[in-house]
Order: sequence, then C-alpha cells, then structure tokens
Amino acid sequence: MENVVIQNRQNSEAEVLRKQAQRRKTILNVVYYLSGTLLAVVFLFPLVYMLATSTKSESAYASDAGTLMMFLPDFNNLSAAAENYKKVFVSYGVWQYAINSIVYAGVIIVLNIIVNGLAGYVMAKFDFPGKGFFSFIILFLIVVPVETSIIPLYSIVKVLLGMKGTISVLAVILPATISIFNIFLFIQFFEGIPKEYEEAARIDGAGNLRIFFSMILPLSKPIVATVATFCFIGAWNDYLWPTMVLPYAEEGAWPLYPIQSALTSIQSIQGITTGEFMASLVVTSIPIFIVYVVAQKYIVQGFGSAGLKM
Amino acid sequence: MLGSTLAILGVLIAIFAGFAVKDVLLAKRKGTRYTFRNCLVSYGMMLPAVALAFIFVLLPIIYSLGYAFTDFYLLKPNNIKFNGFENFENIIESIRMKGDMYNAIRNTSVFVVGVVPLQIGMALGLALFVNRSKKAVGIFKVCYFAPVVISLTITSYLWLQILSPSEFGLLNSVLKLFGAEPKDFLRDPDTAMLWIVVISAWQGCGYQMLIFLSGLTNIRKELYEAAALDGATAWKQFLHITCPGLRSTFLFIVITVFVGACRVMIQPMLMTGYQSHTVTLSYYMYVQGYSYRWVGYSSAVALLMTIVIGSITLLQRRLLREKD
Repeated sequence: MENVVIQNRQNSEAEVLRKQAQRRKTILNVVYYLSGTLLAVVFLFPLVYMLATSTKSESAYASDAGTLMMFLPDFNNLSAAAENYKKVFVSYGVWQYAINSIVYAGVIIVLNIIVNGLAGYVMAKFDFPGKGFFSFIILFLIVVPVETSIIPLYSIVKVLLGMKGTISVLAVILPATISIFNIFLFIQFFEGIPKEYEEAARIDGAGNLRIFFSMILPLSKPIVATVATFCFIGAWNDYLWPTMVLPYAEEGAWPLYPIQSALTSIQSIQGITTGEFMASLVVTSIPIFIVYVVAQKYIVQGFGSAGLKM
Repeated sequence: MLGSTLAILGVLIAIFAGFAVKDVLLAKRKGTRYTFRNCLVSYGMMLPAVALAFIFVLLPIIYSLGYAFTDFYLLKPNNIKFNGFENFENIIESIRMKGDMYNAIRNTSVFVVGVVPLQIGMALGLALFVNRSKKAVGIFKVCYFAPVVISLTITSYLWLQILSPSEFGLLNSVLKLFGAEPKDFLRDPDTAMLWIVVISAWQGCGYQMLIFLSGLTNIRKELYEAAALDGATAWKQFLHITCPGLRSTFLFIVITVFVGACRVMIQPMLMTGYQSHTVTLSYYMYVQGYSYRWVGYSSAVALLMTIVIGSITLLQRRLLREKD
C-alpha cells in the first residue's frame, strides 16, 4: 500500500518535470519562430514594398505613405496596377529591353558553353605539344586576383570595334563568352568521363566535333546546366559594362540597351510615377526569381564549385 | 596600340613555342610521336577560346600594367607616351591635397571596415539560426536569401526609393509618425556611407549564409553529442567545435567579401552619384578612365588597387591559415 503511494508520488513528480520541460520547449519554439519571422520581415519588407507600390497610382502612393497600407496593394483601384504595367511595357518600351536582355543572355550562354566547353574538352582529353603553356595560363588567371581591368578592356574594345551603332552589340557579347573559370569547371568534369565512350564513338567513325556535341555535352548535363544558369544570371544582371559600351537609343530606332541598363533612362523619364518605376523594377527582377526557383539544384552545385576557386 | 599588341602576341607565341618544342623533344626521346592531324584538331578547337581570352582577358591585364606608366588619353589613342611615375605622383598629390583620391580611399576604407564584419556576422548568425531541423526553416532560408537574387541595380534603385527625401518615402513617412522632419539620408555626409554599408550587407549576406550552412553540415554531429555528454555549454560547443570546424569556410568568405567590398561601385554610383562623401576607389577609377578618358591615370589607380587588395588578401590567408 505504502509502496503504491510512493510510486504514485514519483510518477506525478516526473509528470510535473516533463510538463515543465514541455512548456519550456514550447516557449523556446515560440521565441524561435517569432524571431525567425521578424528577421524574415527585415529581409523581405523592401521587396514587398516594391511589389505593393508597383500597383499604385501616384495619389494612392502618397496617401498610403506612413501606414501599413504601404506594404499592401491598392485593392480599391486594381486597374491602376494594370495601367502601371501596361505603361511600363508599351510606352516606356520595356518589352524591347526585355527582348534585348533575353537575346544577349541566350547568345552568351550558347557561345560560352561552346567556346569554353571545346577548350575544356581539348585540355581534358587531348595531348598536344604546348599543352603545359595553356595549363599554366589557366591556373595563373584563376589564382591571380585581377579586379580592375575594366578601363583597359574598354579602351581595347573601343579601338577594336569602334563602337558605333549596332556593332557595339558585339562588345556586350564577346567579352562575356570567355570565362577561364568555366574552362576550369569543364576540364574537371570532362576528365571524369571514361575514355571508352569516346573510343567507341571514334570506331563508329564520329568526328571530334560530333563527339563533343552529341556525346560529351549530353553526358555533362549537370555542369552545362550550372554554367548556363550562372551565365544567365550574370548576363541578365550586368549593368555597368553594357551601359559603358552601348550607345543611347536613337529616336524611333530599336534600342540596344538590356533591361538593367535601361532602368537608368527609365528612371529619368519626365513624369514617371513611383508606381510605374517600381513596376519596371518588378518586371526586371521576375526572370531572375524564376531562374532561381527552376535551377535551384544547379545553383547549389555552383556554390560547391565556388569553393574550388580557393 | 597595334604595334604593342603584336609585340605582346609575339612574346606569348615565343613562350608557347618554347613549351611546344620541349614537348616534341621529350616525346621523341620517349619514342612516342604527336600525329600532325591530332595537333591540328586540338589547336583548332582551342582557337576560339584562346583568341577571345587573349583579346578580352590577357590583353587588358597586361595593358593595365603598361598604361599606368603612360599619359594615355582615350581620344588620342595613337599618341601614347611613357611618362614614368607621373601618374603615381599625381595620385600622391591628390591624396596630399585631400582631393577625390583621398576621399575615395577614405570612403572605401569606411565601407570595407563596416561591411566585412557586418555582412559576415549577419551571415554566420543566420546560418546558425537556420541550421536546425525544425519546421519552416526552409521558408526562413528562402526569405533571407531573397535579396541576393535581385541585382545590385535593382537593390540600389529600390533603396533609393525607400530612402527618398520626399515625405512619402518609406523611411521618412515612418519617421514622420514620430514627428521627425523629412531627411535626405544619402546626401548627408555623415549617414550616406553607413546606409550603403547596411544596404550592401542586407543584400549580400544571404549568399554567405548558404556557404556557412554547407560548412556547418560538414561538421560531424558526434562531436556535439560527445561535448554535450561532457557537459559543455552551448557557447563552449560553439567556441571549440563550430569555430574550428568553420575555419576554411571562414577564410573563403572573409577573402571573397573583402575583395568584393574593395570593388564597391554600383551602389554609390546609382544612389548618390559622384559625391565626395560617397565616391569609392573603383568609382573614382571608372570616372577618371571612362568619363574623363584619362586611361593612363585610371590604370595607375587600378594598379595600386590590385597591389593593395592582393597583398591584404595574401596577409589574410597567412593569418587565418597559420593557426592550423
């Protein structure tokens, strides 16, 4: 009888302790999620603000200032949103800039993969006199930090291409097609492809280019996708270089600026409203968000290889 | 310019020929031979990359060394004269007179000293915060990473709007609730650079958070379990397990953030324009070389920057590696 009482008392004490631990855990959890959400607000509020403001007319923007409505779209006047985006796309010509950006990025991705892929293929699979020289140059260019050759590059491009009219498009594309780091990535990956595949293809009578395009590249999908993703992000987000080398759009002619560079001239358009400018920022960032969502896997792989740089 | 390009090309081809001849001789001694066809194919497939790398990567590097000692003015590309150390004397003169070079050095230093610890600290804090198996951690990660996705251009223009001097700007309209007058944060010499530091850290730290996270997952879980059994507090665990485990990640992040911070340019360029209280070294170099077309002087600034950044990077590597 006494034993049972003691047992019960011990049980209830354990129960109390367990409940206390439980409560502490709940409190900690609440604190964790609260602070996590608070941090999320700190990181997201400018983006939410951008999105919300892009739906507003100038008067709604002014009247919402200083209230929580700054972070919400203008539900009373949804046509203002449509008007802002329509004006940005049609009147300010953002659709033209967007097409430019897509074309630049597309051409750069394709050329970058072909040029650097071919070089990586040769360096990984062929033996030829003078190979050591190229290995040395690649290593040198990866290790030595060269942060500041944009002005000499500009002077070379200017003398080389003259930079008049449409030909200056080449100045945007050509320097972006070569990337020593991508050659390095390709070499690393191609070295892992067994020689037997290639030999089999060669016995079947395939030429070198054929082997590269219809065997090596398809076998290297992960690295090709990673390079393509980073090329796209780089090309889409580049602002300074295109602004430097491309001429201003002439009246009536198709503009040459990509969308990022165009933002500067869009911002200074006479009478542009805050909502419209925010809409152009939203339009500019959406493709990158899509790429990050779709190509998440390859971006993480790219982070892994960024560590190789050291 | 054509003459010097050909000279550089000649030197490079000579070095390459040296390598090639050595290879051929070695092959002969070993009794193997390169087939002519094979060589042709290899060189042919290398050619696009080699040509582009020569023109757009190697040549600018070599030229930026050479231009630094000339009076190259972009509108007179056929009349370049060597002028010894005159560009460097001008730089020193500008520093002594507290001209824009002085401002650029000061502002860049302020930015680097501010942003490197802030951004890395935020990244490490966030990484530790999300490095646990709880629900919603994935969502948190995405939220903290979101600013990395948007470009520097959009970041700059967006914050320009948030910090707008009008009473409708986000910050000013909030401050107005507390009865403050509207301020022009980016024109105020005392606060402009600080805002640029905060915005850059806000935008960039998600990236380093992910790199820290991959470093954290590489630390073995058993170490923490063993330490917990021995009664080590969370702080002690952090100090003696997490910190040593993150050393190489940390080194990588310090160097990349540092080098990136030294190059800061787009943010001041788009948010304040050329102002003495926000001009940075890269921006100064750009304005001298591109807007004023003094490529020679600009290259001298670039050369100094490369030397300083390179040697500080080496020093960081040494300091952080030596403790192993």
